[in-house]
Amino acid sequence: MVYQLNNVSVKYSNRTAVRNISCTIEEGKWISVIGQTGAGKSTFVQVLKGLISNIDGDYLIDQRPVKRDAKGQLMVIPEIGFVFQYPEHQLFETTVFKELVFAPKQQGWSHQQISKSISNVLPLLGLAEDILPLAPFQLSGGQKRRVAIASVLMMNPQLLIVDEPTAGLDPVSKAALLQLLKNWQQQESRTIVFVSHQMEDVAEYSDEVIVFHEGCLVKQLDTRSLFLEQPHLLENIGMSLPESIQFLRIVEELAGEKINISSCREQEILDKILPIWRARGLLNV
Amino acid sequence: MFTFDHVHFYYKKGQPVIDDVSFTIQAGEFVSIVGANGSGKSTVAKLIDGLLLPKKGTVKFHQLDTANPHDLMKIHQQIGFVFQNPEDQFITTTVMDEVLFGLQNIQVPREEMRGRVEASLRAVHMEDYLDAMPHQLSGGQKQRVAIAAILAMRPQMIIFDEATSMLHPEGRKQVLAIMQDLHHQGMTIVHITHHMEEALQAERILLIHEGRLQFDGDPLRFFETVAVTNYQLQLPFQVRLHKTLQLEGPIAVNWKEGIRSQWSIN
Repeated sequence: MVYQLNNVSVKYSNRTAVRNISCTIEEGKWISVIGQTGAGKSTFVQVLKGLISNIDGDYLIDQRPVKRDAKGQLMVIPEIGFVFQYPEHQLFETTVFKELVFAPKQQGWSHQQISKSISNVLPLLGLAEDILPLAPFQLSGGQKRRVAIASVLMMNPQLLIVDEPTAGLDPVSKAALLQLLKNWQQQESRTIVFVSHQMEDVAEYSDEVIVFHEGCLVKQLDTRSLFLEQPHLLENIGMSLPESIQFLRIVEELAGEKINISSCREQEILDKILPIWRARGLLNV
Repeated sequence: MFTFDHVHFYYKKGQPVIDDVSFTIQAGEFVSIVGANGSGKSTVAKLIDGLLLPKKGTVKFHQLDTANPHDLMKIHQQIGFVFQNPEDQFITTTVMDEVLFGLQNIQVPREEMRGRVEASLRAVHMEDYLDAMPHQLSGGQKQRVAIAAILAMRPQMIIFDEATSMLHPEGRKQVLAIMQDLHHQGMTIVHITHHMEEALQAERILLIHEGRLQFDGDPLRFFETVAVTNYQLQLPFQVRLHKTLQLEGPIAVNWKEGIRSQWSIN
């Protein structure tokens, strides 16, 4: 599915939260949304999910205007999954199983559909079946987070919005969760909209980046272009380049040559630089 | 100055959360306590604060024992805590009231209050926000006010319990810079974190894993000798770089200079 906003503005009583936003969210991509606090990122993702009923401008899904109610107000879009910050705070059932089946039951799913979805979702998030009878409070922080995300993936969303999904997790749990989301997005050809302040994660996982500043969508561009060709966009919003890219820049400057890389992943950068380092006789091997 | 002596703690018998941990923190030290989610590092913080009491062993600040309620009052006046969520720490409506609140509680003479409030806000570069309302501040600014409120009480030691983990990169930098400032002024700093870049700033690292103290030593030795990924932690960028590029000599905290100097040697 393709999600498209045309000249969308959202006004709260005394201020405009986002102004004239136009963008296209294409299928099968990991799209990161960056910007300072208050830049409009949260309003933008809420518009996508249909959580803000009163918007100016057009919102189209697969070129058709999204549904509005009798008063002309936007309705929540069920095909989009939304994982809020600290989603584990919203776990309320007594077992993981009940937590996972809550929304499907509300939707009147059959037993078969539910168990099929559970057996799809658990491995996607690196969870084993023996977790199902446990109470959420018996789980570690990382497990709780994955259960909360699993309960959103149960509904098999085409597009998943995640707002700072790794806040508070230790580094290994964080990398594992982002990799699981990346696998889901790639294998199932789904779309992820990822709100983050961590430029290292944005560089590592995204295909595209949407840059917000003071309520405006400044630019939507591919990840490589942002970090390698238009780093001033980051500076303008007070963000730093990931250290791996700063490193790339320093080596380019020292070597006096441009180093071509195809992605902004740290491993690829290090792999490209190692031979240069070796050629200069700086490696002990 | 601060001693954990063979401390044991559990919620359920037979399932130790803290298992025979001993260490001493000297006045003026900057110590990072590191470990994964669920390792027991926050339990250590609660034991330091006397929110939890050891099942066996003692936790002492100088000669004061957290297990003694009379001592605990005095300990609380000497040790300040900065918590994870800046939203949770505000109880008043202006920055000035927030800093005043603690002083009123410990009955500081009225004529002394204003000076203490201003000095502590200056120390965290928030002196221009005296009348600001907390909701107008960024996360980093809120944490700095929380720190000022603690400084006004003139503690000997401040514990930062994952105090940067909910902040954006800019706020994180601000709070880390304040920690360094305070340390250079002689304050004892304990920073509980799982961000290894931040731990690298400390003079000493204590690694807690499954309730046990697994390492106690300086950061560079920590990153050279401990397989941190076994503990759900990650090497900081400069250490990954140092290892990948097989750089000579000790790990440079300022990796950019390290790279340039290595390049110019050859």
